[in-house]
Amino acid sequence: MKPTVEEIGSLLALKRHERPEEGYFDDFLREFHQRRREEEAAVSGPAAWMKQASAWFSDLGGSKWAYGLGLGYAAIAAAFLLTPNSDPIQQNTPTNVGLEIRLDESAEIEQLPSLDLRPSTQGMTGEQEF
Amino acid sequence: MPDDSPKQDPDEDLVARARSGDTRAFDALILKYGEKLYGLVYNMTSHKEDTHDLLQDIFAKAYHSLPRFRGHSSFYTWIYQIAVNMTLNFLKKRKRRSGGLSLNEMDSAVHQDPAMVDTTHLANPEKQSKLHELQKRLNEAMLTLSEAHRTVVTLFDIQGVPHAEIARILKVSEGTVRSRLHYAHIHLQAKLQDYRE
Repeated sequence: MKPTVEEIGSLLALKRHERPEEGYFDDFLREFHQRRREEEAAVSGPAAWMKQASAWFSDLGGSKWAYGLGLGYAAIAAAFLLTPNSDPIQQNTPTNVGLEIRLDESAEIEQLPSLDLRPSTQGMTGEQEF
Repeated sequence: MPDDSPKQDPDEDLVARARSGDTRAFDALILKYGEKLYGLVYNMTSHKEDTHDLLQDIFAKAYHSLPRFRGHSSFYTWIYQIAVNMTLNFLKKRKRRSGGLSLNEMDSAVHQDPAMVDTTHLANPEKQSKLHELQKRLNEAMLTLSEAHRTVVTLFDIQGVPHAEIARILKVSEGTVRSRLHYAHIHLQAKLQDYRE
């Protein structure tokens, strides 16, 4: 014959009195603080930061996906901005192109006729005569 | 059962002191909820050593997460949520690792549960023996429940947590809690068939 739900409930309720042995929590507290001290001594610097960040992230629940997407987007944007451009903007600084301009000394220089710089005596109308 | 009024958390002072680095305040919280959480984890895992290790991890997690505890729920609900989630994760890992706990591996203490030693029956060895057998079958039947069903049975039937509080701890509706309990009880009834006194 099947036990009733009430009977099952009563049987299970007896397990409510299950307790660890006497003095269990004194030892438990000692071990807890020992572990905590060891953790704090072992974890420091960037590792501690990472651990705290991962603990914070895991505590976010459902919103961690939104945070994850945001962080991913920020990481991509940062990578895009920080990556050197393959077609850099031309700079106005002079560059040595390795060319030299030389005068061809063998070429003849054409001489212009000498100029008459004396004042003109046959000036035009209105011109002053010296 | 602690008074879990959403207005005033009875642990507010201890939590505030623990958050400001008072380890004695956190010790007081461990002592206050340790036994209840031990019962929860032990009835979920049926293994003393696993219970001890898990309980250490649960309180360590709570200690490290305390600065981020916003007080949206009571500390009691919050630490129960941590305990249930960590225990369920542990059970999933254990199942993946070894296909779950066989009845042979089950802690012998669960078979010989002192809670079932009813002194009124001590003078009647036959009745006592029958009670032990029923207890053994009950523990075995508990292990055949799904983790979700075992959680609600442990919280409601063994720990006496009200439906509304279980719903808050598990972040499900009260209807879901009642439904899981209903199916878990049917399952236990079937497993304990022929063992009614």
